[in-house]
Amino acid sequence: MENQRTEPVIQFALLDDLLNLARANSLWPMTFGLACCAIEMMAAGASRFDLDRFGAGVFRPSPRQSDVMIVAGTISKKMAPAIQMLWDQMPNPKWCIAMGNCAISGGPFEYEGQYAIVPGADLIVPVDIHIPGCPPRPEGLIQGILALEDKITKGEKRNVLRRFRRLERVG
Amino acid sequence: MAEQFPQPAQQQLYSLNLGPQHPSTHGVLRVLLTLDGEYILEADPIIGYGHRGHEKMGENRTYLQFMPNASRMDYLSGLLYNHGFCLAVEKLAGIEPPERAKYIRVICAELNRISSHLLWFGTFLMDLGAFTPFLYCFDDRENILDILDRVSGSRLTYSYCRFGGVARDVDDVFIEQTRAFIKRLRSRWPDYHNLVTKNVIFIHRVRDVGIIDKDLARRFGVTGPNLRAAGVAFDMRKVEPYEVYDRFDFEIPTGSKGDALDRYRVRLEEMEQSCRIIEQALDQMPDGPYRQERVRLKVKPPRGEVYFAFESARGQTAYYLVSDGSPYPYRVHVRVPSFGNLHCLTEVLKETLVADAIAILGSIDIVVPEIDR
Amino acid sequence: MAAKDDALRRIQELLGPGALTADPDFRAGVSYTVACPKESLLAVMEIFNACGFYLESLTGLDFQDTLEFVYHMNAYEPRARMAVRVLCPHDGEMPSVSGVFASALWQEREAWEFYGVRFSGHPDLRRLLLPDDADFYPLRKDFGTVHAYRKREEVYG
Repeated sequence: MENQRTEPVIQFALLDDLLNLARANSLWPMTFGLACCAIEMMAAGASRFDLDRFGAGVFRPSPRQSDVMIVAGTISKKMAPAIQMLWDQMPNPKWCIAMGNCAISGGPFEYEGQYAIVPGADLIVPVDIHIPGCPPRPEGLIQGILALEDKITKGEKRNVLRRFRRLERVG
Repeated sequence: MAEQFPQPAQQQLYSLNLGPQHPSTHGVLRVLLTLDGEYILEADPIIGYGHRGHEKMGENRTYLQFMPNASRMDYLSGLLYNHGFCLAVEKLAGIEPPERAKYIRVICAELNRISSHLLWFGTFLMDLGAFTPFLYCFDDRENILDILDRVSGSRLTYSYCRFGGVARDVDDVFIEQTRAFIKRLRSRWPDYHNLVTKNVIFIHRVRDVGIIDKDLARRFGVTGPNLRAAGVAFDMRKVEPYEVYDRFDFEIPTGSKGDALDRYRVRLEEMEQSCRIIEQALDQMPDGPYRQERVRLKVKPPRGEVYFAFESARGQTAYYLVSDGSPYPYRVHVRVPSFGNLHCLTEVLKETLVADAIAILGSIDIVVPEIDR
Repeated sequence: MAAKDDALRRIQELLGPGALTADPDFRAGVSYTVACPKESLLAVMEIFNACGFYLESLTGLDFQDTLEFVYHMNAYEPRARMAVRVLCPHDGEMPSVSGVFASALWQEREAWEFYGVRFSGHPDLRRLLLPDDADFYPLRKDFGTVHAYRKREEVYG
């Protein structure tokens, strides 16, 4: 399902840029670890791969206080309504990162007779960044968060060395 | 108990949902609590939010194709589950791995056990409100992950063990790194004990909290450190030794009361015993092949079944494989320790405070996706 | 050892010596297999409870001609594991042992939701792992994709 992002009625040019810079550098993730990728998310927030240096180390359990929902792990059909509810409870502006193969497309659990999982978070919530891996290394999650920061501040063309691919949606 | 406090004129019971999204990241667990003020009258764990259909997948995958599933069930002891699955299939198919492979697998399994207990330590204390031990233990854990990553290619969900051995050989750098790590970990025990074990607040929060005694443990099928804290010295590595565990000299730490403090002490002591096993294994490891060469990729075990039980970081895990003679198993059933460990909470959480409930949940060390399979 | 021999003796008295199959090499992970008819299941479980065993796991097996439930019982001793095998038709009911072993409360809920067999006497038979509105029984071989659906003697001979 595609949720259209609504454009605000009043647009400020320079203030918007400043606000986007502030938002990008203080992304507060929501703790949404479902399965194995949660551990790599915790490792990314821990001592070696410190996420706090990017401003994103403050994991808030409450959706009302968080900016970005990192869907880390397999989405089972029982959990899907809860994800929808949590996404709706997050205030705008909000973003979503699909971390790991299971959140991107069902991962190693998607096969023809699978009855229990939702193959991909983008079937439930609009996903901004996909991070492949099973599980992705914490450096991968950091690259994903930096990619999201670039997306927010529209700095993708500026930071060509970040080496991430923009997904071209057809139709 | 609740009677010693003045009762309100109208007693109202309150239903509270603990989860499925909550900061004690054990996976997705939901506990439906019926509260009388702050006292829990009934606790009903509702699971299934991580159900991925492993057992149905087992019937659609060959034995080798099922191997990634094995470590994704309990991802904190991924290598232990992978090891156990390889041992189960080897027992079913009659494959005998070489000696060196057995020692390598035991060393990696014990390293995985230490990393699982370290992570439990960090998250348990984070549940109780202390953030610093989490950073300490993840630092040590990253060292283990470096060693295992270098040799297997993966940090969390390993498929390093294969039927008949391991995927790659280990070299001298692995042995050096492991020895250096054991030395470093042993030098950290005083830090952990000074930071946590002797901390008055910690002791007050976990002493006499969540007592699981022997009878309760037996009725619910509780195994692992929770059972050993209750006083029963039951560890599959000693009771039904597999691989080369009968060649090592190590102890089974037990507690006496079965409260959360005993469970904490048992796990810390188990880490030290794992260090002892690793040292002895490194000394005894012979040279030789690391893999049985004649094993086919599509293993076709003969008709029959095997029930193989081993000791994972959370307790006694078992693979029950039924084979009909084809490369696809007829039935794969995994007996997971967290199933019984969580189930006993329906009785343990009665008449406790909500704050104690968090401490008890943390101290039993569950990983919910393995319950949900 | 003590608990295992005690349990063996009492089960032999109850069911007769033909019901027990021994595996002295412990090849399949169980020392004795008890072929138990449905009616005697509760009595066998009470014997195990009195001898200090615990219910390790409950597995269902789906064959073309019958369903089979395997109860693995273990005691805190080496090589004490015993398997109790009960046959049940596809549309039959099983007696619940949750009054004897509390761990059966959840194990039987799981067996019911995956195989569709009711456990009579279970106080709270509702779904455990699947969503509440699931109307299928996943581990039955006629659901989804499976590789093989065999008769019991093709597997066990």
